[in-house]
Amino acid sequence: MSDHVDGPRSIGDPAADLSDLFAFTSPANRARTVLAACVFPSAGENAIFSNVIDHSIIVRRVSVAGTGNAARFQPADEELRFSFRFEMLERDAAGKPVQRGTCTLPGGRTLQVVVNDEKGTSTPDGDARVFAGLRSDPFFLAWIIPEFRKFQNLLQHDNVLIIVVEFDTQKILDPAKGSLFGVCAETVPIPQPHSFIGHPVPRIDWVGRPEQTNMRINNPAPAMAGTDDLRDLWNQQKPFAVSKELQPLFLERLKESLAAWDMRDGKQDWTPEALAANANVFLDDYLLFDVEKPITDTSHLEIEKSTINGKPYQTGGGRTVDANVIDILITWLVNRDREFIQGGATGATKPGMKVFPYFATPNTALQTVADSVELPAPPDKVWAVIGPFGGAWHPLIARIQVTGTGIGQLRTIETIDGKEIVERLDAMDNARRFYRYSNISGIPASHYTGTFEAKPNGTGCVVEWRAQFLANNQPDLLVRTIVATLFKTGLESLKKRFG
Amino acid sequence: MEDAAILDVERIALTAGDIAAINLESARQRAWNRFWRAPEQPQIAELIVEQEQLTAQFVGDLAAFDRLEALVHELARGEPESARAALIATQVACSTHRFAEARESLAQAVARGAPMDATERLLLTIDQATGTNLLAVLAARRERTARPGHWEERIPLGALLADLGEFEEADRTYVMALRTYPDVSPFAPAWAAFQLGVLWGESVPRPDAERAAKWYRTAIDYLPCYVKARVHLAEILLDEERTRDAAALLAPVLESSDPEVSWRLGDIAQAAGDADEAALHLAAARSGFEVLLARHPLAFADHVAAFYLGSGGDPARALDLAKQNLDNRPTARAFELYANAADRCGASTCPTAEHS
Repeated sequence: MSDHVDGPRSIGDPAADLSDLFAFTSPANRARTVLAACVFPSAGENAIFSNVIDHSIIVRRVSVAGTGNAARFQPADEELRFSFRFEMLERDAAGKPVQRGTCTLPGGRTLQVVVNDEKGTSTPDGDARVFAGLRSDPFFLAWIIPEFRKFQNLLQHDNVLIIVVEFDTQKILDPAKGSLFGVCAETVPIPQPHSFIGHPVPRIDWVGRPEQTNMRINNPAPAMAGTDDLRDLWNQQKPFAVSKELQPLFLERLKESLAAWDMRDGKQDWTPEALAANANVFLDDYLLFDVEKPITDTSHLEIEKSTINGKPYQTGGGRTVDANVIDILITWLVNRDREFIQGGATGATKPGMKVFPYFATPNTALQTVADSVELPAPPDKVWAVIGPFGGAWHPLIARIQVTGTGIGQLRTIETIDGKEIVERLDAMDNARRFYRYSNISGIPASHYTGTFEAKPNGTGCVVEWRAQFLANNQPDLLVRTIVATLFKTGLESLKKRFG
Repeated sequence: MEDAAILDVERIALTAGDIAAINLESARQRAWNRFWRAPEQPQIAELIVEQEQLTAQFVGDLAAFDRLEALVHELARGEPESARAALIATQVACSTHRFAEARESLAQAVARGAPMDATERLLLTIDQATGTNLLAVLAARRERTARPGHWEERIPLGALLADLGEFEEADRTYVMALRTYPDVSPFAPAWAAFQLGVLWGESVPRPDAERAAKWYRTAIDYLPCYVKARVHLAEILLDEERTRDAAALLAPVLESSDPEVSWRLGDIAQAAGDADEAALHLAAARSGFEVLLARHPLAFADHVAAFYLGSGGDPARALDLAKQNLDNRPTARAFELYANAADRCGASTCPTAEHS
């Protein structure tokens, strides 16, 4: 029998894909530090951890070893490691999948966790508490980076799997010996006898500061077109110990990449010396945080930036749940903090929480309603009636008023039973008889995106209407029924008009 | 290959198959949500293609092909002049064996400046599937396999070697793929193991059922939802008259939309002497195959021809489908299928001059 796929390109397990790392002071208790790492970007509602991966968050004490154009940080050899491993699935009495895991703390103590148990698990003396499970993705990226164009948050409504460890800062980190730390996370296959014959157990992924691979090592700017993709090579490096042989290669790439970033606004803000210092600092890819200084939503990268600027750092750096790390990074790279560059979103789908486990509850799946009708009339003739965004062809419309023109215009619909619905035009292609819109108010739903289209179908056409949304404080079924009725009534009326 | 080597590769640590399948479905649905929200966002359409192909191949959810067609339509509407729309149209056309269309889309992708690595890979896929320039394809496959970070090239290379009769080298290629696998996702190793099963169970001149069964079991161990591996292993068990074991093997994938499950259950019921149950299963298989043929005629022409040559009991229909398949992809295997069908129908084994 033949195959339908020419190669298993999706060889990567998404549950091993590390996307983000966080280090911040607990907003609930200033004496405690929180470290967290995310895997499985765009995880669905049922996502679970791989049972053959060791997920570790690794901390080392760091000292400032140079400032200004000689800026450098020196990590200590000793490391503290928080490791999570997860079991195969079990089924509860109702047949629902349950996954358990174990977190091993520095020093070897272990804590058992049940995935998605929001309370987490604490040590008997309460000095550490851990959580593992699905949460709303705290990361937001509101740019089309290759074009340097603002966009909606590309991760809106996404979820990730997160491991969180919260601990007594004094007891675990002993800041009297030095309060500045670097942190990385890595995913490594759990070693097994006879596995991967002839090959060392590989590291699958690791992460320090945000976007080392996708924006700095591999800069998607047009100016960097044609350069080799070094991301796999980078991902094979050991956290805190990038191969000495490969350091010159990565450093050269970082310099080229940072120079390209500097010119994204057409202005040069970095001297070659400062740019080289910045590249040197980014080559040591760990997230810096100081537990004796304030870690805030805006303190991300401040330790690195101040040190490169030849000044003592003022904050605890780190990365909070709500930090706008992409725009902080882009601003630094493009104009060296001359002027803040804001992307197309100011926050993630949901803000973080002030209490354990600090990351917001997962997003539920969007509801989809779709309907269509086949008509014997040509598509252009039908579109002439239904295509205008302010058209009053729908039998449930009593009155309709349009405000503005083009993309962004609003239509305010008064229905025959007296309700008001406000919708915004997001995209329009009259040549292809298509538009996309979002609901502003009037339907008990959020994140509502609708599409409306007339496609050729032989000598006639098919009109398709589709919407995705989240029910807003109403049962899903109720909102689906409202939307489905709206669609059905409208499409049925077209049969009478064009049938 | 020695048994010890087989045992070695069986110990590869992979994410449990049930976890991987749940995560695939979860990620697939989420990716569609993202696509409908903003189809133009980078990489989302490409991700959906990979996830839907995995879903079709490993989970037996053949509606994935319909969803892929919808994706191609949306991209053609939203970005009709883009290279990625043409590349994805090529991939989907390949998935459903519309190779002439695939070549047209690929030419468009090249003209629109699609990355050379991607267009080269797709051209190899089309040429290999249609039996075109096979020695050149072989050279290119070998060269690509030798490149760092191109692990995924090993399985099509193994398949090509098997098609060319280089069975020992095909075996070594698949086993090397397993031994050098750089990840923990079970999908690709399950496929390599499945291909080893096909190699030793069907491709070699003197099939080794025991060896094939071992590999099919490995594939199922890696990925319990792997419908095709279960179907192929059930065939072997049926040949060994282990009808109960064969039925038990297929029971967990009864809900799959792949009609081959019903086909084999029909065969099993027939072998067990239960004519009524056999008829029910075979009717379900016939209906399922005809639905697939109506939607994706070239994708399933060979599968359905094999069904009608077997317990589907309609050699004339088989001949017609085998001819369509041969016209679409004049490979040795396609000719063999056509020749079998022609033999059953008493027709000429030389359908047209171009295939002779």
